[in-house]
Amino acid sequence: MATEPTDVLIVGAGASGGVVARRLAEAGFRVVCLEQGDWHDKAEYRGPELDWELTMRKQWSTSPNVRGLPQDYPIDETDAEISPLMYSAVGGSMLIFAGAWPRMLPSDFRVRSLDGIADDWPLDYQELRPYYERTDREFGVSGMGGDPAYPAGGEDPPLPPLPIGAGGLKVARAHVHLGWHWWPEPNSILSVPYDGRRPCVQRGTCQQGCNEGAKASTDLTHWPKAVAAGARLVTGARVRRLETNKAGLVTGATWLDREGLEHFEPARVVVLAANAIGTPRLLLLSASPAHPDGLANSSGLVGRRLMMHPFANVGGLFDEDLESWQGQFGCSIESFQFYETDERRGFLRGAKWGLAPTFGPINAALPSRAGTQVWGADHHLHVRSHLGRGANWGLFGEDLPDAANQVALSPTLTDSSGIPAPEVHYRVSENSRRLLDFHIEMATQSLKEAGAHTVEVDRLMRYSGWHLLGTARMGDDPKTSVLDRWNRAHDVPNLYVVDGSCFVTSAGVNPTSSIVSLALRAADHLVETRSSQRVPA
Amino acid sequence: MSVQADAVGGLDAGQRATLTAVAAHLIPEAHGMPSAGDIIGDKRLRFVLEARPDLLEPLRAALRAGLPDDPGARLAALERDEPDVQGALLLVIVGAYYTDKVVRERLRYPGQEAKVLQSWKYPVYLEEGLLDSVLAHGAIWRDPSTGRTAVEERSPLATPTERGA
Repeated sequence: MATEPTDVLIVGAGASGGVVARRLAEAGFRVVCLEQGDWHDKAEYRGPELDWELTMRKQWSTSPNVRGLPQDYPIDETDAEISPLMYSAVGGSMLIFAGAWPRMLPSDFRVRSLDGIADDWPLDYQELRPYYERTDREFGVSGMGGDPAYPAGGEDPPLPPLPIGAGGLKVARAHVHLGWHWWPEPNSILSVPYDGRRPCVQRGTCQQGCNEGAKASTDLTHWPKAVAAGARLVTGARVRRLETNKAGLVTGATWLDREGLEHFEPARVVVLAANAIGTPRLLLLSASPAHPDGLANSSGLVGRRLMMHPFANVGGLFDEDLESWQGQFGCSIESFQFYETDERRGFLRGAKWGLAPTFGPINAALPSRAGTQVWGADHHLHVRSHLGRGANWGLFGEDLPDAANQVALSPTLTDSSGIPAPEVHYRVSENSRRLLDFHIEMATQSLKEAGAHTVEVDRLMRYSGWHLLGTARMGDDPKTSVLDRWNRAHDVPNLYVVDGSCFVTSAGVNPTSSIVSLALRAADHLVETRSSQRVPA
Repeated sequence: MSVQADAVGGLDAGQRATLTAVAAHLIPEAHGMPSAGDIIGDKRLRFVLEARPDLLEPLRAALRAGLPDDPGARLAALERDEPDVQGALLLVIVGAYYTDKVVRERLRYPGQEAKVLQSWKYPVYLEEGLLDSVLAHGAIWRDPSTGRTAVEERSPLATPTERGA
């Protein structure tokens, strides 16, 4: 058991935890991180193996409820229209994320001012841009500068763009014909060797772990550097609750090891980086007589305003063999043509589109996400028409915050340590439904213009909760926000939250680039204010 | 994770015959492709169950006596009453069939290959000027200071010669 408080205790070794650990350790802080998962070796990933399409449905599922691994906690999602997805490990959900790396747009930080709904952020795009550029370099981002969907200026992505593939080229030509925006997608996947890592081999199995180490995850990009700088990373460590003193400061975390033995890790500052389900769960678990509704929850907003990006998949089938089982997954190209609000469409805000590869023959043969299945003699024609001949637009619609969409503690379900599991209550809003309907129609037009003979639509995918956001929002007013503009809890001055919980609104883009940039900004603030930081006596 | 060495043999002759019949019903010989009933022997079944030992129990349930003998009727009953069991049965059959070497060769599917990125090649989309067309439309982001689409000067993309291609 530790007795001397560490400078900073981080809970969670995923995307944001890794960024903060490296920054603080390299600045001379004594850093300890508690991670319930483990390290993974790249050789464990099944992408090159015959069974990859079998194991992706169980051991390497993106859903903790499907995997059911000891390091996972179950989630009661019976009252949720979308299933939250995540992975517990060093590197966190980056191990199984796609690697698409778009930034938020300027309008995303000013939703209330521009569209009269939701809220504005306490910072803007220009304030975050230097952090985007730094994290682009830290993770190794491949892309093409000059995208007119973003303000001009600043650094281009550090690495050249990845290939857009035969399907991407067809759709790009179609968008030029339509006069619509398209651009090579930025991905945190290496197009050339970088920082001791090998480049992408286009295997197309990014979401089952990258065997090359080409796709960024903090177990590769940050934790080795953080550990080299002195950070101590404890795996198999499940945090039960945060402890506080009479002064209202957090004093450390009580946690359980793999054998179920309880420990206490004292700390001067605690940083939560456990994602927008795990972080509010832990804050609610840390209720005490002084904080009966959970820690840092005087606003009543801990766990509320959960946003998960309602998602639709629009797939085009082509006569030509596009070899579409290969390519970064990740995306090849993106479109922001219909991203900004146009009230004539009957909804507010918009969606980013990302064009992704298709899978292999098992996915082509099984009932599709759009519900298509063909058996009997024509099964072979069905598989031939799908395997390698598809291009899929993934549509991420902006999810507006709603206090009724929330993470609470289950009164009945527990994890394997007996700790209450989270239960998620989530309904897709009418605005989101109208938004997706419009974007599906436009994406269908895109694919038909590209020559697709058939377009298949999965309108609202259940297993699409990759983006967990908003359950401890930041803001300037302690009555209406959990965190201040530097990710510090209004109520607890030595407690920070650096994962996607801090999001004020969700934007309509993949959020990891923004999550890690906000985390780096918070870490910079910790470094700059270290002498004035309040800590337990 | 591993499955018991006798797991495949754990299915009795009747269950194996049922599996063959259902597989042939779902994926018959046609269009130059073999029947799944012919392809799915011990080797392929063992492969699937070693990769996914959790499928063994629902597979046994799907093949149990007491359900209709007719493959189509059995599948329909499972879909109606036990969709998870039916899903497992489909996955076993499809997984065993499409990991077979002959099947993959006939589909011309080599698996997920590692390819060398030719990052030194000038992209076709730049040669065709496809991004120049996008840039010609100007900025499309909404400027929060005005609420309108931004107006800004931009440099054109470098030509192939300027990029050293």
